[in-house]
Amino acid sequence: MTAAVAKGAMGDNVLDIDRLLVMANQIGDFFEPYPPARRAEGIRNHLRTYWDPRMREALLEHIDQGGEGLRDFVIDGACLLRETDAGRKGYYGPPQA
Amino acid sequence: MPNPVKPDRSVITTCAYCGVGCGFKAETHQGRIVRMIPWKEGKANHGHSCVKGRFAFDYYQHPDRVRSPMIRNSIDEPWREVTWDEAFRHTASEFRRIQSQYGQKSIGAVSSSRCTNEEIFLVQKLARAVFGNNNIDNCARICHSPTQFGMSATVGWGAASQHFDSILQADVIMVVGANPTEGHPVFGSLMKRRIREGARLIVIDPRRTETVDSPHCRASVHLPLRPGTNVAVLDSIAHVVVRERLYNEAFVRERCEWEEFEGWMALVGDDRYAPERIGPEAGIDPDAIRQAARLYAGGPNSAIYYGLGVTEHSQGSTGVMCLGNLALACGMLGREGVGVNPLRGQGNVQGGSCLGSWPHVFSGYRFVTDPEVRGSFEQEWGVGLDGEPGLRLPNMFDAALTGHFRGMFIMGEDPVQSDPNQQHVIAAFRNMECVVLQDLFLNETSRYAHVFLPGSSSLEKEGTFTSAERRVNRVRKVVEPLAGYQDWEIVVKLMNAMGYPAHYDHAGQILDEIARLSPAYRGMSFELLERIGSAQWPCDEEAPEGTEVLHRQRFPRANGRGTFMLTEFVPTRERTNDCYPLLLTTGRILSQYNVGTQTRRTANSMWHPEDRLEIHAEDAHARGLADGDWVNVTSRFGSTRLRVKLSKRVNPGVVYTTFHHAQSKANTLTSDLSDWATNCPEYKVTAVDVTRVTAEPDRRTAEPARKLDEVLA
Repeated sequence: MTAAVAKGAMGDNVLDIDRLLVMANQIGDFFEPYPPARRAEGIRNHLRTYWDPRMREALLEHIDQGGEGLRDFVIDGACLLRETDAGRKGYYGPPQA
Repeated sequence: MPNPVKPDRSVITTCAYCGVGCGFKAETHQGRIVRMIPWKEGKANHGHSCVKGRFAFDYYQHPDRVRSPMIRNSIDEPWREVTWDEAFRHTASEFRRIQSQYGQKSIGAVSSSRCTNEEIFLVQKLARAVFGNNNIDNCARICHSPTQFGMSATVGWGAASQHFDSILQADVIMVVGANPTEGHPVFGSLMKRRIREGARLIVIDPRRTETVDSPHCRASVHLPLRPGTNVAVLDSIAHVVVRERLYNEAFVRERCEWEEFEGWMALVGDDRYAPERIGPEAGIDPDAIRQAARLYAGGPNSAIYYGLGVTEHSQGSTGVMCLGNLALACGMLGREGVGVNPLRGQGNVQGGSCLGSWPHVFSGYRFVTDPEVRGSFEQEWGVGLDGEPGLRLPNMFDAALTGHFRGMFIMGEDPVQSDPNQQHVIAAFRNMECVVLQDLFLNETSRYAHVFLPGSSSLEKEGTFTSAERRVNRVRKVVEPLAGYQDWEIVVKLMNAMGYPAHYDHAGQILDEIARLSPAYRGMSFELLERIGSAQWPCDEEAPEGTEVLHRQRFPRANGRGTFMLTEFVPTRERTNDCYPLLLTTGRILSQYNVGTQTRRTANSMWHPEDRLEIHAEDAHARGLADGDWVNVTSRFGSTRLRVKLSKRVNPGVVYTTFHHAQSKANTLTSDLSDWATNCPEYKVTAVDVTRVTAEPDRRTAEPARKLDEVLA
């Protein structure tokens, strides 16, 4: 369970980073059987479409600090977020080849 | 008093309990409902009903109903009755204060599948257009969000492919993680009728449910799998379909993406999914898996019906994809008698999904990240809208604990009782500065609320529900709202108090707005529903009176083809060990409804006065337990006390309870794990231990804070 911050105070991240790491790795688990390029895009698209931008930023910051606790291919997928233009349409699942 | 009381008025409306959506004639005498008569013309029930819809309506006039708005500055203070105007002013100023202090995204809203389409649509509008963020979620998050995700991914639409009557053409019925004879009784009766006519039944469920074995209902194959092994077992069924070449190659070549099919075959066809491998892991006979696969693929018409036993897992979305994959591979879509059909728990879960109560999509499942779609809403609503997904319900609680989320508007929900990991949810609420609850009763969540807005029951309002078969039914006002306003009117007034100029003369104008902004609802209107009774979406120019069976020619995906997802089995992190050797799973019973807010306030409680823990005799004897003993049930997350019921319906190693009573506190036990794609909680798998206790529990602290005279100043 996440430790509550003092009343009135705000923590650094919108969600506890451990929570985000669990969620990101779970997304990775699903996309693991896909070939590397589709796997990375699938992870990127999922984060882009479903995660509040503050959650994505917190994840990317954690990756900048070494990404401890994340599997390598999850890091690869998350890093693709940086190359995406903001207007790109979101969609479900891995991209069609 | 004559018997029966002669009604002086009769109004046709829709039952608000489960997702079947039965039509009723609500009959009144001098302004009070005296009976509910199942309506012969109801397209879902054809004159049938169950014990909830028929009898459990008295809650609407229960003394516990709150009749006046109330506010308080802190949750330690007693409630103070105020005028509606003061309640709206207070709420608006608190929400604006929080936003100016902690940011635009520091508040959000949650709507309920017990509310109408019109109300759900307005709550999303409140969040997006008035709060100015996308922090909007719906209770479908915690039940069927994986349905939307998993079915969209494979067949294109997250909704039942069939109408209920389609089951009368089915030769093989596969029920997965659902118990329709108890949970969806009127549909259950239809299913039994087809079984009596000779249809074969496959049931995949850890428990020997009434659907597995009861009068007129007997499964040809039952796979009593260990909770948490759904995906492994469904992949193993697919393995048999692939290896024994039982798939429908012509259908896949004509209607699906062949390359994706080949990729899927390579995954599930691998030896690791052979029944001989998966059977022992899931605690079932490998031969039964083979039988199930052959029966399903053999059809000729095979139909899948599934429930929360599929979705409420850490691989819930993957489980739904497995069902989509299987139906596509065997060609069981696009005609009567087949299909993949979610059975929805609440009257309007499908509507809740359709009407944009999600942080990432507007009504009609169109993405907030899509500038074109967003533009159409901005034009209609006259304000700029946030182009980024907002927080989901569980993430709102997480963000409350980090101090980033401070205010919540909740319509018709009781997250403290119904959401998982109760202590976590309570801690989150305690961290919020303004919790606004709109409900009929002071529920468990009201202990942590600052504003209470007394809502209206479905018998007191105008609008529509969308049932589990995509059928849009009219909800009509039978009696006047007890506290003065229909729920949609309350939302409009709150929008106005916050400075947004919304106005509707009647609920039908909201449906017109929905129709303008949601392609599948384009043809819907009160006028159409008056004329033809009800209509299944998609309802548009091509199908002016709606669509019974989906996917007849093409799948609603960009290229019109169904596709296959790679559904690798990933075991949940929730495991048994020496400390927690049993797996707890949950379900419902016929006479009660979900957390019981309504049904517990009717005479239906006579049939189910308490929740019991079902345990196999072997596990009971090992713990020295006799039927009726009190036990402590402990998980990694909390503990509660229940009375045990020795049962042959569960296998050794599995225990089961219903969750209809607040005192049972089943959700103190459930974990913080959730579906990888949607954060739908993993309610169905919790490792627990059960130990005998001598005393009855002290339930003083668990009594619902609902007696008005005790809580008012």
